[in-house]
Amino acid sequence: MASRRAELLSIFQKTATEITEREFPVIAESTVISELGIDSLGMLEIVGSMERELKVQLPDEALAGIQTVKDLLELVEKKEALAAGAGAA
Amino acid sequence: MASADVRDTARQARLYDMYKTFFDKAEQDRRWNPLRDVPYEKINKEAPESLVVVAETFCCVESFLPDYVASGINVVRPFFGQAWFAANWAYEESKHSVALMEYLLRSGRRSPEQMFDLQATLMETKWEMPFATARQMTIYGCFQEMATFVIYVKQEIGAKACGDECLATIFRLNARDEIAHCRFYEDVVKVLLEEDREGTLLDIAHVARHFQMPGVGIVPDYEERIKVMREEGKVDRSVFLQKVFFPVLKYLDVTRQELQDATFKERAASSEERRTRAAE
Repeated sequence: MASRRAELLSIFQKTATEITEREFPVIAESTVISELGIDSLGMLEIVGSMERELKVQLPDEALAGIQTVKDLLELVEKKEALAAGAGAA
Repeated sequence: MASADVRDTARQARLYDMYKTFFDKAEQDRRWNPLRDVPYEKINKEAPESLVVVAETFCCVESFLPDYVASGINVVRPFFGQAWFAANWAYEESKHSVALMEYLLRSGRRSPEQMFDLQATLMETKWEMPFATARQMTIYGCFQEMATFVIYVKQEIGAKACGDECLATIFRLNARDEIAHCRFYEDVVKVLLEEDREGTLLDIAHVARHFQMPGVGIVPDYEERIKVMREEGKVDRSVFLQKVFFPVLKYLDVTRQELQDATFKERAASSEERRTRAAE
C-alpha cells in the first residue's frame, strides 16, 4: 500500500505540473493543495486527469472536502480498493 | 454564437420569452429602493472594521458597473432578450452599489471624501471582459452570479451576528437579485446546450479553466480584502465547488465527466495550436 501511495503521489506531481504548466518542488502528502497556488477548479482539473489515467471515478460530493494531497490520494486508494473488491467478487 | 444565430427567430423568441418571465417576476416580486427600503437606522455603528471592509469590498467590485455594462451589453447586442436583460441587470446592479455606498457613508465609517477618492482610484483601472463571445460570457455569468449570491448570503449571516440589521438587509436584497440573474443566465445556457451541446460544453470547460471573480486585478488590496471576507463570512475553499460549481452544473444537467472530456479536448486543441504556431 505504501508503494502505491508513492506512485499516486508521483502521478499527482506529474499531473499538477502538466495541468498548471508550472514546476513544483517535491510535493509532500501533507501539502495543502491551495498553497501550491492551485484553486478549486484547477484541483478539479487535476482530479479529472488522474481519474482518466487511473480509470477511477471519484464522487463529486467528496471532492469539495479535499484540502491536502493526502485527502485526494486516500480517496483514490479507497476507490481503487472498492473496484478491486468488486472485481474479485 | 455565430451570426446565423441572430437570424434564428425561434431562438430569439425563446430568449425574449425568458426575458419577459424574468422581467415580470422582477417587477412583481423583487423591486426595491436602496434609499427607502433599507433600514439605515439599524446600522450598528460599533460593528467591527472587518465587516465594514466586507461592505466596502462589495462596493468596490460593484463600482465597475460602467465597464460591466459597456462590454457586457455589446457582446449580446444582437440578441434582443439578452440585450434587454443586460439593461435590466445594469439597473438592478446599480442599486447594489448605491445601497452599499449609503451604508458606508451613513454609518460614518467612511467619509464622502474617502468614498469618492476610492471611486476615482477604482476608475483608473478598467475591467476587461474575461471571455470573448456571448456564449462564454453567459456561462461566466452563471458561475459569477452564483458565487456572488453565495458570498452575499454568507456575509448576511456575518452581518446579523455583528448586530448590523441594515447591512444584513442590503446583503439579502443584493443576494436575491444575484440569484435571479444567475437563473436567467443558466436558462439561456440550457437553450445553448440544446442547440449545440458539444460546443457549449467546450465553452463551459474553457470558462471553468479560466474563471476568476471580477474584482481580481482591479480592486486595490484585493487579496487582503478577500482574506477578510473569507474570515468574516466563514467561506472556505470548499464552498466554491460545493455551493457554486456543482449546483450550476446540476441545474444545467451537465456532468463533471462530460466537462472533463471537453476539457481534455480543449487542452489537446490548445496544444495543437501552440505546436502549429511554433512551427510557423
